[in-house]
Amino acid sequence: MRTPGRQDGDEAELIERSRKGDSAAFGVLVERYQRRVVGVALAVVHNQDDAIELAQETFVRAYENLSKFESRSSFSTWLYRIAANLAIDFWRREGRHVVLRGEDAEIEISKLPTTTGDSFKEVSRSELSARLKQALEELTPEHRAVILLREVEGMSYDEISDVLQCPRGTVMSRLHYARTHLRTILKDVAGS
Amino acid sequence: MMLGAFEDSELEPNEMQEVAFHLARCESCTGILADYSTLGRDLRSITAEPSLAGFSSAVIARVDRLPMPVFTRIARALRRQLDSVGAGLAWGGAAVAVAVVTIILMTPYAEHFANRAPQSTVLAKAEPNPAAATNPVVDAAANEPTMADNDSHADISRLESENRSVAVWSEPRRDTTVIWLPDQP
Repeated sequence: MRTPGRQDGDEAELIERSRKGDSAAFGVLVERYQRRVVGVALAVVHNQDDAIELAQETFVRAYENLSKFESRSSFSTWLYRIAANLAIDFWRREGRHVVLRGEDAEIEISKLPTTTGDSFKEVSRSELSARLKQALEELTPEHRAVILLREVEGMSYDEISDVLQCPRGTVMSRLHYARTHLRTILKDVAGS
Repeated sequence: MMLGAFEDSELEPNEMQEVAFHLARCESCTGILADYSTLGRDLRSITAEPSLAGFSSAVIARVDRLPMPVFTRIARALRRQLDSVGAGLAWGGAAVAVAVVTIILMTPYAEHFANRAPQSTVLAKAEPNPAAATNPVVDAAANEPTMADNDSHADISRLESENRSVAVWSEPRRDTTVIWLPDQP
C-alpha cells in the first residue's frame, strides 16, 4: 500500500517537460500517482465515483499550476494536498455533514463512552463491514480522511499533516477520535 | 491517544517503552490496542480498490483540451523560432566550412595560374622598347609604363624578327629577374 513519493532526476525531468506542455510526460506522472490520489480523495468523500472525478480534477489542477510547484517539496505530497483540499471542499459544498473543528471535535470525543474490555473480533464479518461503512459515513471528512490515510494508505503522521495541512497534534487527536468513535459503534454492534 | 500512536509506531522510543510496560500489566488497554489493530484490517478490507482503467487517458484528454496560457504560447513560438534559426545556422555553418575547404584546396592551383599569366605578360612586354634591340638588358622600371600600352604578340614577333639575343628583365618592385631565351634556329 505504501508508495513513498519520488523526487528523483527522472521525476524532475518529467515535471519540467510537463511544464513545457508535454502532456505525454505528464501522463507518466498521472500513472505513477493516480492510485494514491484517488485513495486520498476516497478517504475524504468515501464515494468511488466522486473520488475518481476529484482525482481527475486534481491532476488537471496540478497540470495548470505546475509553474507554481517548487521542486524543493515532494511532488507527491503536493498532489495529495490538492486532492485533499478539493475533496474537503467538495464535501463541504455537498453539505452532507457538519464539520467539527478544534474544541468542538474534542467535546465530541469526551461525549463518547469509554469502552473497555471485550474486543469485537467475534462479530460476523458481513455485519461488521456494513456497520463499519456506515460508521465511516458518520465521521466528518477530516476525521475519516485521517483514519483512512493512516490505515488504508499507510501514511505517517507527518505525511498526513502535510497533506491535510494541519499540525501533527491535530492528526493524532483526529485519529484518536475516529478510532474511538468507530470502535464504540462496532462494540455496540457486537453487544446487540 | 498514546495507544493509537503506539499502534502506529509514531511515539518517541522512550514513550514506546513506557506504553509497552503499561500494556504488560493492563488488560483493558491491551484489548483496546487489539481492537485498533482489528479496526485497521477491517478498514483495509472494506475499502475496495477502485478501477483505474482509462483514468490517465481521461486526464490527458482533459489536459489537452485546456486553453494554452498566453505565456506558454509565446514560449512555444519562441522555441520553434529558435529551432529554425538553429537549423539555419547549422546549414550556414556547413556551407562556410565547404567554402573554406574548397578555398584551401584550390589556392595552390589558383596561385599557379595567377603567377603564370603575369610572367608571360612581362616577357611579352620586356622587348618592344627600341633601346632593348641594341641593349638586351633592359631596366624594367623604366620600360614598364610604355610597354603597358603595347600589344604583346606584336612585341614578341618584333623581338624575334629583329634581335634573337638573350633578354634579361629585372623588376626590383617584384624582386624578380626574368631571363628570356628565344628559340634557336
